[in-house]
Amino acid sequence: MTAGGVALDLRGIHKRFGDTIALDGASLSVASGTLHALLGENGAGKTTLLDVAAGLTRPDGGALTINAQPVRGHTPADARSAGLSAVHQHFSLVPAMTVAENVALSSPGLFRTFSASDAAERVRAIATAAGFRIDPSALVANLPVAAQQRVEIIKALASDPAVLMLDEPTAALSPSEAADLFVWLRAFVDRGRTVVFITHRIREAMQNADVVTVLRSGRTVMTSAVRDTDESSVLTAILGEAPIRLHGTPTRNLGSAAAMTPVLVLRNSTVIDAGGVTRLSPLSLAVHAGEVLGVAGIDGGAQHALLRVLAGRRRPDSGTAELPTTIGFVPEDRLHDSIIAELSLVENLALRGAGKRHGRIRWSDLTNATRQAIRGFGVQARDEYAPASSLSGGNQQKFVLARELADSPAAFVAENPTRGLDVRAASDVLERIRSARDRGAAVVVYSSDLDELLSIADRIVVCFGSSVHETPLDAAVIGRAMVGAR
Amino acid sequence: MAEMVLVGNFLEAAVRSATPLGFAALGALIAERAGVVNIGIEGSLVCGAFASFVVAGLLGPEVGFLAGGLAGMSLGLVFAVFVVALRAQQIIVGAAVSMLGLGLTASLHRIAVSSTGPGAPISTFLPLQVPVLSGIPVFGQAFISQPVTTYLLYALFPLVGWGLYRTVGGIALRAVGEQPSAAVSAGHSPARIQCAALLACGFLSGLGGATLVVAQTGIYSDGMSAGRGYIAMAIVALGRWTPRGVAAGALIFGGVSALQFLTQAVNWRVPYTIVLATPYLLTLVAMAALRGTRVAPAALGQTLNRP
Repeated sequence: MTAGGVALDLRGIHKRFGDTIALDGASLSVASGTLHALLGENGAGKTTLLDVAAGLTRPDGGALTINAQPVRGHTPADARSAGLSAVHQHFSLVPAMTVAENVALSSPGLFRTFSASDAAERVRAIATAAGFRIDPSALVANLPVAAQQRVEIIKALASDPAVLMLDEPTAALSPSEAADLFVWLRAFVDRGRTVVFITHRIREAMQNADVVTVLRSGRTVMTSAVRDTDESSVLTAILGEAPIRLHGTPTRNLGSAAAMTPVLVLRNSTVIDAGGVTRLSPLSLAVHAGEVLGVAGIDGGAQHALLRVLAGRRRPDSGTAELPTTIGFVPEDRLHDSIIAELSLVENLALRGAGKRHGRIRWSDLTNATRQAIRGFGVQARDEYAPASSLSGGNQQKFVLARELADSPAAFVAENPTRGLDVRAASDVLERIRSARDRGAAVVVYSSDLDELLSIADRIVVCFGSSVHETPLDAAVIGRAMVGAR
Repeated sequence: MAEMVLVGNFLEAAVRSATPLGFAALGALIAERAGVVNIGIEGSLVCGAFASFVVAGLLGPEVGFLAGGLAGMSLGLVFAVFVVALRAQQIIVGAAVSMLGLGLTASLHRIAVSSTGPGAPISTFLPLQVPVLSGIPVFGQAFISQPVTTYLLYALFPLVGWGLYRTVGGIALRAVGEQPSAAVSAGHSPARIQCAALLACGFLSGLGGATLVVAQTGIYSDGMSAGRGYIAMAIVALGRWTPRGVAAGALIFGGVSALQFLTQAVNWRVPYTIVLATPYLLTLVAMAALRGTRVAPAALGQTLNRP
C-alpha cells in the first residue's frame, strides 16, 4: 500500500431524487495505489456516489477531484478524460453486439469510423496487457457472466484510467471467479493504479481491500484502513446500531422419526432442455421434513433445473418426482419471475395459485390475506394497494416469502433468496426460512454465497455441469466440488 | 428473345415499384435500429409526394425531389417532438402523424385545385442510360435504365450500411435500439440519437414519396402513398433489420407489385383486384413467417425514461 497522493476525492456530495435524499454530504477520499472498498446497506447511496464520480449523475452540491484536478463537467466523457472509468453492475453492455463493438461504443466522436479489425486489435492489446483472454468478435450475449464482466473491465480500461470503480463486481460471480477478480485487481493496483469497489459482503471487503469506507443514509460514517478495524466494527457502522446476528447457526433436531419423513423424492430424474442439452443427469434424492438442503453450484450448473423440478415447476423428462401438492417457490429473478412490479400487493398475492382457481375472485379475502402477510412478515409498505415497485428490494422479497409460505406448504424452495438484499433484510429472510424448516417443512435453498449456505443448510449438494453430488458441510470441499475437482 | 424482353420489362417494373419502398424502408430501418417504431412514415411519404409535385412544377424535378425530402423530414420532426421529447406512445403518435400527413395534403390539394385548377403533369426524371452497363441484356434493361433517383437509392444502401456498422455513431445508434442504458453509460444521449434517426427517416421517406411524382407519374393524387409506409415497415422486418435484407425485401415487394404488368403482358386470366392486393397479402404472409424470430432490436418500441 503506497500512498502517492489522492487519486479520487469526493467532498460533501449532495443528491436528491424527488423526495428521496440519496446523498447527504457524502465524502470519499481514495489514496492512489490503493484498493478501496465502499460498503453500505441498500439505499445507503453507494451506487449514486459512483455515478457522480463517473459522470452519470449530476450532484446537487459538492466537489469532485480526480488526480488532484477539479472536475467541472458531469458527463462520462469528462470523467474518462480525467482518468476515471466505471464498471457498472448491470446493463452497460449490448448483448446483440460483439466485444469489439461494445468497446468502441464508448470511444469519442460519433463520426469516427469503426473498423472491425482495428477494433479487434485494440481489444486484444488491452486484454493482453490486462492478462485476459477474450475473443473480440464474440457476441456478448453468448459469453458467460464472468467473461461479460471482463468485457466491462476491458471497456473501462480502453481509456487507460488511473482510477477504476466497480459496482458490486462479484455479485454474479462464483467464489473462484471472484477470487480471480481480486487477484487481478490487486495486480492492477500494484502497477500504481487505484481501485474502488462497491460490495455488500463485509468479509470480501476485509479480505481484499486496503481501506474501507462505509456509507449510511447518504453520509460517510466510517473510513479506516482494514488492518485498523474488524468485521464487527464495520457491521456496526453499516447498521448504525449493535450488530444483529449475521448468520445464525443451524439448529436441528436430528434423529426424531418425524424429521426423517421424505417429502420431496426424485428417482432417476433427468432434465433435457429444448435444445437437447442435458441439464440434469439422472438423479435420485430425498429431502426430508424439517431439514434444509443447501444447493451450491456456479453459473450454468444443474441447479436451475434441479430447483424447478423440486418446486414442481418443471416435470422431469425421465424418472419420477414425488412431490406434495403445495410447494412454496422463490425464484432468483424476483422482478421477472415472482412479482409484477406495477401491480398492487393484493394482485401480486393473487398470482399464487391463480391457475387453480375458478369462477369469481374473492378480492376481499385476498385483501385480508395480503394485510396478514404484510403484518406477519414485517413488510414495509404504504398499504396493501401499494404497487410492488414502490417497495424496496428487501421488502419485495419478504412479501414474496410471505406469499409463498402463507398456507404452510409441506415444502419450500428458494433460489438465491438474499441476492441484492442488504445485511438486515438478508438476515430477516434467512430467519423466515429457518422458521419454516423448524415448523417441519422440507426446505431447499440455492445460494451463490457459500458462507450463507453453510449457515442455513443441514445437508449440502453441489452441482457441477449436469451432475449433482452430496458433500460434507465443509467450505473447502464444497468449493473444490463446485469447480469439478474432487 | 421475346421472353428476355418480357423478363427485362418485368424486372424494370419491379425495380421501379421498389424504389419508393426502398427509400421509405431505409428510413424505417434507421429509426427502428434506434429503437423507434415510426408508423408515421406513411404521412412523410404522402407529404413528400405533394411537396415535390408543387415545388417541381415551379422549380423543376431536382428541387422538387429535395423539397419532398424536407417535407417528409418536417413530419419526422413532429413525430420526434412527441415521441422523444414528450415521451408519448410511438404507435399512437405514428398513427396520428400518418393521418395528419394524409389530411394535410388532401386539404392543401383541394385549396390549390379550387384556386388554380388541377395542376398539369410536371416534367419528370427520364431513364438515364449508362454507357456499356445499360446494354447488358435483361440486367441493363432492368437495373440500369432507371431515373437518376434510383441510382441514388443504389448508393444509399451501402452508405447506410457503412454508417450503421462502420462508424462510432452507428454503433451508438444500434446500442440505443438494443440497450439504451449501455449507450447512456458510454456517454451518448439516446434522445439526441433518436431525434437524428427520426429526421433521417422522415427525409428518406419524403424522398420515397417524391420519387412517385418526379420520377414516375408526374402527377399528384390524394393518398397516393397507398400504404407504402406500412409496407416499408414490413420490408424492414422481412429484411431482418439489415440494409442488405431491406434491399432484397424491397425488390421482392417491388416484384409482387409489378406482377400486374406481367399478367397484362401474358394475358393471364387473374382478376385485376387480386393482383393489386398481392403486396398487402404478402405483408401478412411475411409477418406470419417471421413469428417467433428474435432479430428485432431489443428495445424496439420502448419509451425511454430518461430524456
